[in-house]
This record gives sequence, structure tokens and C-alpha cells, in this order.
Amino acid sequence: MSVLRPFKASDMFKFNNVNLDVWTETYNIGFYLHYLSRWPDLCCVQEAPSGRMMGYVIGKAEGQNTEWHGHVTAITVAPEYRRLSLARKMMSLLELVSDETYRGFFVDLYVRCNNFVAIEMYEGMGYSVYRRVREYYGNLGVGKDGRDEEDAFDMRKPLSRDSARRSVRSNGRDIVVSAHDVS
Amino acid sequence: MSVALDRQIRPIYDALDTGSHKSAITECNKVLKKHPKNALVKALKALALVRYQKVEEALALCDEVLESKPTDDSTLNAMMHVLRGLGRHKDMITMYDAAYKKQPTNEELGAQTFFANVRASNWKSAQQVASKMYKQFQEERYLYWSVISNVLQANDINTPPEMRTLLYKLALRLITSAPTPSSVHSDRFYLHLTILRELSEYDEAMTLLETPAGRNICETNLTCNEIRREIMRLRGALEDEGKRAEQRILDKGDRNWLEFLSVVDGTFASIKNLQKDAEPSADAKEQCLSKISNTLALFTKIAVQDGRKDRSGLLGLLELEHRARKHNLSTDPTRLLHLMKQYFETFGDKACCFEDLKPYLALEGEDLSAWTEVLKACPSSPSTVEAIRRAINAHKLSRYNLSTSELTVDTESSRAKLYISQYLEGLSLGTDLPATELQHVDDLAILAGSVFVNIWKLNGEEKYLYNAAVFLEFALAKSKQAFQMRLMLIRIYRLLGAPSAALEHYRLLRVKQVQNDTLSHFILSRCSTFSLAASGDLTFTSECLESSQIYVSNSQETNDYVIRAFSAEKYSQIPQFILFEDWLENSLQRDITKLEYLRMRIAHETISSDIVDLELIELKFIFDRLHHDNRDFEILPNHQPKIVEDFNTQTALFGNSEGHGWVWSFLKSYIKVLSQASDLSDVVEEKLLVGDRPQVLHKRGSLKERLARREEEEITELTPNEVSLSSYTDSLTEWLEPFHDHVRPPASVVLADVAKNTELKTGLPLRGVDVTPLQNGHTKKEEETPPITEAPEAVVGFFENMKTQFEVAKNGGFLNEALHAATITQEAFLLFVIETIRFKPASVVKVHKLGNLVSKFKPIRAVALAVLKGIAASLDGMSAQESTSERRREFVDAFGFESSEIDHDFIMNVAKRVTDSRKKVVEGMAKGLLKICTTYEH
Repeated sequence: MSVLRPFKASDMFKFNNVNLDVWTETYNIGFYLHYLSRWPDLCCVQEAPSGRMMGYVIGKAEGQNTEWHGHVTAITVAPEYRRLSLARKMMSLLELVSDETYRGFFVDLYVRCNNFVAIEMYEGMGYSVYRRVREYYGNLGVGKDGRDEEDAFDMRKPLSRDSARRSVRSNGRDIVVSAHDVS
Repeated sequence: MSVALDRQIRPIYDALDTGSHKSAITECNKVLKKHPKNALVKALKALALVRYQKVEEALALCDEVLESKPTDDSTLNAMMHVLRGLGRHKDMITMYDAAYKKQPTNEELGAQTFFANVRASNWKSAQQVASKMYKQFQEERYLYWSVISNVLQANDINTPPEMRTLLYKLALRLITSAPTPSSVHSDRFYLHLTILRELSEYDEAMTLLETPAGRNICETNLTCNEIRREIMRLRGALEDEGKRAEQRILDKGDRNWLEFLSVVDGTFASIKNLQKDAEPSADAKEQCLSKISNTLALFTKIAVQDGRKDRSGLLGLLELEHRARKHNLSTDPTRLLHLMKQYFETFGDKACCFEDLKPYLALEGEDLSAWTEVLKACPSSPSTVEAIRRAINAHKLSRYNLSTSELTVDTESSRAKLYISQYLEGLSLGTDLPATELQHVDDLAILAGSVFVNIWKLNGEEKYLYNAAVFLEFALAKSKQAFQMRLMLIRIYRLLGAPSAALEHYRLLRVKQVQNDTLSHFILSRCSTFSLAASGDLTFTSECLESSQIYVSNSQETNDYVIRAFSAEKYSQIPQFILFEDWLENSLQRDITKLEYLRMRIAHETISSDIVDLELIELKFIFDRLHHDNRDFEILPNHQPKIVEDFNTQTALFGNSEGHGWVWSFLKSYIKVLSQASDLSDVVEEKLLVGDRPQVLHKRGSLKERLARREEEEITELTPNEVSLSSYTDSLTEWLEPFHDHVRPPASVVLADVAKNTELKTGLPLRGVDVTPLQNGHTKKEEETPPITEAPEAVVGFFENMKTQFEVAKNGGFLNEALHAATITQEAFLLFVIETIRFKPASVVKVHKLGNLVSKFKPIRAVALAVLKGIAASLDGMSAQESTSERRREFVDAFGFESSEIDHDFIMNVAKRVTDSRKKVVEGMAKGLLKICTTYEH
């Protein structure tokens, strides 16, 4: 439960309680304006009844032919609003828009291979691993989880236009590509 | 272009791309030797010069190219960058206009001309260009460009209200003339709806919204759905909207809180449309009551169905009952309490429970005591994560409603004890959490910290701030990402006069990009109080410069995205981007930072006419701004009871947060002083200004009149010492004004001087300045020297008075107040130096017969120097007392909660950090004061 509303440029003045969290990056102004100037309908905010920002998602549409899809660039929820299924609601909006407005074949996102909680959550929403991207999260160095920490899973969920489910595969975890091969 | 020439030009581009401006200039010179008339190369050289900060030379070249009226893409493009760099948007428009006129079929040129107008917010001309383009190229997008240009012109603050409707009507006529309906494109549809909303054409808007295409768009597009809601509300269709929302909640499982609010609004529609204060008819009441019971049934159903999965049903019931009570339509006096209890039972273990219930906490009498009982019943020794969260919520909820009698030093102390013991007990639940996670008990530490600060507010004993610092440091060490604790610590350390300890925490927040605007107030608010710039430590000065970078990025980049939004036809975003750019450009914090920077700069650098002139020009620009306050204070957690000040107010430095009034007040003081000291009169400035003037809004009289007015709002935002400084400045400037005006050389002389220097530098005469030959260089005025007057008392007595202020603060043990008095005294002296610099040269004094005036400066200077030296000596003594072991022991003695974890060593470490930081600032301040005394001894 929360207010679901569009992300606006002036939200950059309001997102500190979300962005001061260690896992959320604050990009330059151009990053947000770039997304808003092209895919404003794929960027939305969850707000508490008090007006405080709870989280947001920033997405885009990209790809050629059957690779045309919605992509989740950033999704984040402030620490005090976790475990309220906010991410799920933002994802379903992004899926709806990718499906109906952009007529994409699937939605995809990247997640650290060692982020089991998130992977499980996305699997629960119908996403599956399409491939493993080596050293996607480059400069962190190899930590205690080794490769899993810097490699990403590219996870996908087919939309209605891909009725034959051609955008997903069951052995995705075994398909490894390098970061240069993905956009 | 010939192939050979093309080959020669490429290295110029390469050099520009890689930022090697100097070698770009060299390359240009090479080519210009062979092709001295080539406009492109000249334009590129101008660009390189701009980037190399050689503005004067760039200007000359730039004008040459503009005169040649270029039309080729490359030259225009290079010139666009040059003109942007120089801030000459108007010239850019002229250039593109001319080029487009010569090639009216060139679509790209048309678009560039349009964009040039957009960059200058020149909406009227933008609209004309767009219309012309639509006629010529028959592209519908150009029609929409002209539509939104009309809308933007209507919204422009300088457009008179009667014009607004006219412009919107014109926009409507244009948009309805489009061959395809606006609903083929969600952003065109949005634009159409905004126009109808402004014109109150709600029925027509509804017709659009009810089309299948319209419905489809609102189904998936949040922006369009938002304006749809608004239009429904504006036309008073609350009931219809309520019904629609009910369907969505039931059929689609929509749990957007906005839908629940729509249902509630619809429920009370029959009495809401009444005139204010009018008693609703019995009929309307009856109708509303039956609706309330329907909604009650609906929300109850949802609440049961969702259980713990979603909070909307129960929260909806609370909102419904809350409003029913407001309208005297509540049928069950126990319901509100019952619902709150139910909510707490169901969602008490969610971190947001307190925030959810906050709007309903205004309880009284029996309700309040019953509610307090509910919260008291919450188990006091929490053993699971859920139980901890519930206990935390119970604390926050009951704390919110505490009354004055419950807020004594004793009761608050026992609360702190309770929070700390629960914290320490619950800490074990998070032993296995990775370092990147927050601890479950963090909020107990925040509560304890808030209580300590509140006690300090109650009795003024600093030891409670020590306690807050120690305990928050401890909790932060256990939960390294707890940024809220860091923010609290920053405030507390500043209150304790330990700026470097505060700064250390601030840096760990990793504030970047736009956050520099919203969060830098934490460290830069009145930071000149702690600045050691006078002794050569530029920490805060560079902090100011770094945090101000974001404004440069904004002015360079944001405009580009406005253009991109036009190209991508994202009309919903264009007004938003413009608003964002404006808020950041005119940010209040930006100019608070600027003023703090200036106050520190004059203490660090030797005051010269260059500094005076440059700062004066900038401050005059700032003075015309309509500021917007983007500072984020909400980010500080607040768990103080509703009857006391919030944490933010409690911990503001000197109990006084600066706002618009503070900025105006300091701007006025500095502009007065600097403009007297400067030779740049308005006439001179006008001639020498590069780039466009900012748009001046609501001219509030002449500059002089505006400077003379001191408003009430300004005084209330100043500390008493700042008030003294401001009246000192007023008296000083009033006293010396006639003499400055008498001695200042006339504009023609100043301009001739500048022109001569420019020509020496660039080899070209200065543009637009007509230098009439001077008569033998005589600058002596015909008029008599104004009568010499006595120095006003506010100036003469100021320094002695500040000495007293300093002593009072020092003897009271108020370190910050002492530092404040010291820095204000220092500032006053530096302003005196600026004011009197003109009268330094013996020749000036002689020619203008000012010997009598100058002799009056001497005693003032002598007293000021003596006071400053005295303060420096006192500060030296104070610094010796800091960082002694007794001082650190105070921390340990104050902290009566020693446990096995928060041991003696830990507390000593915090104590050391605070006392070292204090010592450093006091010591450095003394050193700086002495340095200033030496520099301006005579």
C-alpha cells in the first residue's frame, strides 16, 4: 500500500531517504533527465501517505526486432519501507507498460549473482535467468563470494507478445557471456 | 570545404574533444595564417579561447564571426557552443534567425532556431518559429511545439494574467486543428488535457478521457491518469471517481492509496460541495451516513481479505473514521480507538507503522489514556525481531503524545535508560547481519539520542549532548550504514563546537550530485563561524566550492534535456525540467553557500579591488533572484513529542535556521559595502557585462531603494550578533557614502582604463565602448568635498560591545557563542577595511581634502585591533583547556550508562574526538585573528 505516481524531475530534491542507503547510487542530473526525456512512463515513485518517498523504479525500452524489451535500470526501496511488497508493485507497473505501451517481448534486469534474496524474489515474479554476465559489476574486486559478487544474472520475463516464450530458456545459468557482449 | 582544409581542421576538433584547449588555439592560428577569413576556424578558435578562460579575446573573435552572418552547419554549431559558453543566448537567436531566413527550407536550421529560443526561454518567438516550420514542413510535431510554446509563455512569471487565458485559448485552437487526434500519443494527450484544465473546459476534457483511446492511455500512463484525477476533482465529480476507484480496488486488486482516498472523497461528496461552514441539510447528512456504511463494508472486506498482506484496507478504515469525526458523522465513539488498536496489532511490526498512524494520533481524554494503555501492554523485553519492531513503534507512538508534565528531566532520563537497555538487549538479534545491513534496534538508539537532546533543551546541560554523541557513535559503529544517526551526530557535534568531527561524518555520507544542494546545509550553514580560513586552513572554503559545482552542471546540462524532451515529444516533462532547472539555479542554499564562501574569502585573501569588483557583480546578480528552498530537513528523524520543537529546530546552530531573510540581509550588507568600495558604477557594469542579464522579476524599486529597506523577516532570521553586524554595516556605509561618491572616478574614466587594458591584452579595441579622449587625464571633481562628519556611534562602539558579547559567551562556557562573537567581530573589521581602502593613498586624501575624515578612521581601527587581539588571547587560553584529561573525563562522568560494551575506552575516544576538534578550531581562530591584525595593522 502506497501512492504510485510518476517520477518527476523535482523528485531529485526529495529522494535522499532512499538514496543515502548504501545500495542506491545517486547519478548525475543528466542520468535521470535522460530517462525522463525518453521513457517517462517507465519511471515511477512509491510514496507514503505522508508524502515521504518510499522507493522508485527507472526503466527504459530498447533492443531490435524480437529483442525489443523493457529494461529495469534501477529499482530501490528505502530501508524503512522494505518487506511491504513495494518492489513487486513497481515491477508489475513496468511490465504492464512494457507490454501494452511499448509492445515489448520481455522485461529484463540485472542482479548480482550472490544476491539470493533478490533472485528468489524475481523468480517468484516469473523471471528466470537468461544468462550470466561475467564481471558486469566490475570494480568491486573479488570479495568473499568470489565470482558471484561481480558477475550478474540477466533475468527475463516474457510478455504477452512472446506467447511462445522464446525470450527465456531453462539452462540460462550455464550460458556465460562477457560484459562486452551485452548492451 | 576543400579536402586539404578539411584535413587541417580535423586536429582542431580532436584537440577540442580531448580538452587540449591550448593546442586547439595553436592549431587554429596555423590554419588562420593561410585562411585568415575562414569563419569556421575563427569560431573554433573562439570556442577554444572560451574554454581556456580567455574571455576577452574570445569575445572579439566571436563578434567578428557573428558579423559575417554564417550559414553553414559547422560554423553555426561551433558558434552555438561559443555563445552558450559566454551566456549570450540572445545573440544565438539572432545568428540562427538570420541563417534560417537565408535558407527557409532547411529543416535542421529551423529546429536549431527554435531551440535557440527555447534556451533563452523566449517562448513567443519560439512559437512563431514553430508555426512557420509547421507551415513549411507539415510535420505535426512542429504544431505541438508551437502549442507548448504558447503554454510555456502563459506560465512565464512575466506574462500578465489577462494574457494567460488568451494564450491558452490560442493553444487550444492550435491543438484542435491538428489532423490527427491528440490521443495517438500519450504526451500530446497530456498536453491537450492540461490546456483544457487551465481553461476549465472540464466537460470537453471528459469527452476526451471517455474515448477508448483516452481510457487506454490513462490505464497505463500514470502522468495522464494523474491529470485525469485532478480534472475529476475540479469538476466536482467526486462520487463518480469514488465509484470508479471502488471498481478498480475490487476488480483489479488495485491497492494504490490514491484509489482509497478517492473512495473516501466520494463518500463525503454530498457534504463536501457545500459552502464553507454551512451546516449540511438533514438529507445530505442522511445520504452521507449511508455512504459511510457502504464504504465501511467495502474497506472491512478488503482488510479481512488482505490480512497482513496489505495495509490499505485498515488504513482506509482509519481515514474514513477520521473524516467522519471531522464532519461530526461518526456513529461509534469507540471505533477510532478500536481501529488504531487493530492497526497496531496487525502492522505494529512494520517499520512504517508509526508514520502510518501519525495523522490519527491527536487523541484526547479517555481515548488517549485507553490508547496509552494499549501501547503499554506491548511486551517490554523483546526477544524476536518482530517484537523489537513492535516495541519501537510503541515507544514512538506513546512518545508522540507525551504531555508537559511527562517531559521532565527525570522522566526523560528514565526513558533514555529504558531505550538503551532494550537496545543493548536486542543487539544480539543482529549479530549475524552483514556489515551492509542496518541493525534491527537502530531506532532505539535514535530514540535515546533524541531524548538526550530534548533533556539538553530542557536544562541546557551540555553533558546530555555528550551522552547523545557517545551513544549514537556506539550504535553507528554497530550499524555502519545508519545515515540517520550520522546526520544527528553532525548536528550534535556542531552544537558542541566540534566542526571537524561533524565534517568527518558528513564526508562518510558520500553526498554527491544534486544532494549537494539538498544536504550541504548540514555542514555549510553558518560555517564561517568555524572557518579557519584566516589562518590558511581552506577546508570549508573548498567544501563550499565543491558543493557548488552542481549549479554549474545544472546551467550547462539541464537545458540540453529540455531540448531532448522537445525532440522526443515528451511534453509532460518539459515544464518539469524547466521547473527543476529553475529551482536549482535559484536555490536558496546555493546563495547561502556563496555568502559563507565570501565571508571566508575576505578573511583569507588580501582584499583587493579585483575581489571587490568580481564579488560585487555576482552579488548583484544574486540579489535579483527569486530563491527556492530545496534544503532537505525532513531527512532528520524526528521523534520528539508533538508539543515540543522538532529535532531539526532543536539542533539548529544558534537555534536559528537561516532562510530568505538571512540571505537578503547579508546580500544587502555586502552589496552596500562592495559597491561603495568599487569603481564599477551601473553604467560601467552595463557596458562591460558579457552575456545576457538574468530576467528581473517584479522589480521592487531601484537597487538603492531595495538595499535601504530592512524587512522584519530578515531580522528574525539573524542571531543577535548578526543583527549588530547589520546595523554596524548600515551606519558605516551611510557615513562614508558621500565621500566614496565624491572620490570615485567617473564612468568614462573607468571605461577608458578597461578599454586600454583590453587592447593591451587582445590587440583589439573593446566592443561597444566609446572612449572619448580625456582632458589631460584630469579626474578631479568640480564639486566641493562633502562636509566631514563624526563617525556614528554604532560604528565607534561596535567593537567594544562585541568584546563584551564575547566575554559573556566565554564565561558562560558557550564555546559556539564565543566563536560566533569572534568571527562577527573579525568580519566587521574586514568590512571596515574594504570600506576604507579607497582612502588609503596619500594622494587621494590630499587631492580630495579628506585628511579630516581619514583621521577619524584611526581610533576606530585601533580599538578594533585591540579588541581582536584581546579575543585572540582569550581564545588561546580556552584552547589550552580543551583536550585536557579533565575535559575528557567529563564525558565519562556524564555517561552514567556504562556497560560492558560501551566501556571507558570507547567513551574516551569520542571525548578525544570532540575536544581535539574544539581545540583545533579555537586555536586556529586565535591564530587567524592575529594574522588579520598584522595584515591590516595600518
